[in-house]
Amino acid sequence: MGGVARYWRLFLALARFNLANELAFRANFLVKIVVETLWLGILLVFYDKLFANTKDIATWDRNEYLFFVGCFYALSGVIETFFLSNCLEFQELVRTGDLDFYLIKPIDEQFLVTARNTDWSTMPNILMGGGVMVYALVHMPLWEHMAVPDMAFRVLSFGVLFLCGCAMTYSFLLMLTSTSVWFVRNQSLMELWWLFTTLMRYPRQIFANTWASPIGTLFTFVIPVLLVVSVPSSTMAKPLEPEHGWFVVLTAVATVVLFFVSRRFFRYALQSYRSASS
Amino acid sequence: MPPAETAVLSAPGLNPLRGLQKYLKIFRVSLTERLHYRGDFFFGTVLRYLPMVTTILLWQAVYAGTDNPDKKIGDYTQKEMIAYLLLIHVSRSFSSMPGLAAGISRDIRDGNLKKYLVQPLDMIAYLLSYRAAHKVAYIATSALPYGLLFFLCWWFGGIFDTFPDAVTFVAYLISLLLGFVIGFLFETSMGMLGFWILEVSSILWVVNTLNFFVSGQMIPLEVMGPNWAMVLKWLPFQYLAYFPARIFLGKVPPGELWTGLLIEVAWAVVLIVLCRWLFARGLRRYSAFGG
Repeated sequence: MGGVARYWRLFLALARFNLANELAFRANFLVKIVVETLWLGILLVFYDKLFANTKDIATWDRNEYLFFVGCFYALSGVIETFFLSNCLEFQELVRTGDLDFYLIKPIDEQFLVTARNTDWSTMPNILMGGGVMVYALVHMPLWEHMAVPDMAFRVLSFGVLFLCGCAMTYSFLLMLTSTSVWFVRNQSLMELWWLFTTLMRYPRQIFANTWASPIGTLFTFVIPVLLVVSVPSSTMAKPLEPEHGWFVVLTAVATVVLFFVSRRFFRYALQSYRSASS
Repeated sequence: MPPAETAVLSAPGLNPLRGLQKYLKIFRVSLTERLHYRGDFFFGTVLRYLPMVTTILLWQAVYAGTDNPDKKIGDYTQKEMIAYLLLIHVSRSFSSMPGLAAGISRDIRDGNLKKYLVQPLDMIAYLLSYRAAHKVAYIATSALPYGLLFFLCWWFGGIFDTFPDAVTFVAYLISLLLGFVIGFLFETSMGMLGFWILEVSSILWVVNTLNFFVSGQMIPLEVMGPNWAMVLKWLPFQYLAYFPARIFLGKVPPGELWTGLLIEVAWAVVLIVLCRWLFARGLRRYSAFGG
């Protein structure tokens, strides 16, 4: 596995370089962090107002839901920090033909296209999301009376499922990015991505027993985006129901399948790439 | 270096009547430009269904769990709340001005502003015609998908079961148009800050984030509690989203309707003065950097 070590070193070197870059524009860095904090604050006020008027949202009570929000925030923080800005640049690389320079390097194309730059300014989001999750857990009756082995089991499963969620989100992002090869005048990749992630923002149970339950089924079993935040959060914050195990298995399987499918799709897209310049 | 007084640039005077034809032409050219990409436009609008679906589902779940008397949140029933959140999109399709302030401040920074100054036209009036055309194109192409969505909500969900009477509807249209004006003037004024501050985009982020909340796009102002609602109703931001939606729902009492619109006009006038003043002051500082 010398390859993994090599890519890890490469990744760290690039990340260090980006950090130096970012710190050269410290004011901008700070403003970005202020905006992200503000945004989290607005979200928390929003949910506070909702829960002032309701006892639960689709079976999630106040603290459970707060945990969900924290989990979503941390997960999107991971994606934004390591992958999002890279992927958004991809269509520009295709349009200008600068992708050539990445293709000729002796480095995996997917690594270069999706993970070359680390956006340090969104890193605090991961911590803030983590903070919200911890705050929610501390205030949960469920966790007050939990035996230590149970806690350890939940924390461990959550860790694995959170990584699964990140990997699934990454795979979706990669597939969406790949389509830029064909749709060169596709200005709104960012917007498409934002629209798509609205499906992760809320617990999958809001679809249950409503007019939208077919949409819920579609986005759980066919395009499993509703599992991304819901399954890890349930594992940590909700009383475990018997069928929950099946969703855990589904998440694990979907992660592996999506990861390979998205890689194949990306490579297929690259084959259609016709260098635009020269 | 010449003394500052001799290097002063001044904005050309605005003569709306004589110049009108000129701005109508700008309007027409911009409209043609936008309609060229109508396929793209239409696709984008269809995708915007997704967040609306999840918003409706979220609020249905909230109302399913409420213990409030008569199942109201703020003074909204479940149907009214969903109608409100859909109407926000209509308000925003008039009042949102993506990229306007950033564009102005960029033109100031890299010196491109002089392209307006050397031509016999008024920059603010030019931008207004340009934006109006974009809005017409946007509203024309999004009317169909939005209309379909609203129809489905009405047909299957009983949302919008009470349509406003003629007078209220006229007031609603006026409030939308004024929302466009206020949104335009506010963004333009923000862009003018570029005369004094080199990098406005970071301020714009903060302002836009806050605006999302204080204009009632996330929740109606009433739901934030009486104190916050009172404060926020004194600010002009409510006219960008909250106020028109509230009129459509018939929640503005007839007595307050016209005073409300008058206050909105007053805000528009204040913003015009502010905008003109910033422009005139800013041009005195402007030194047309760059080629």
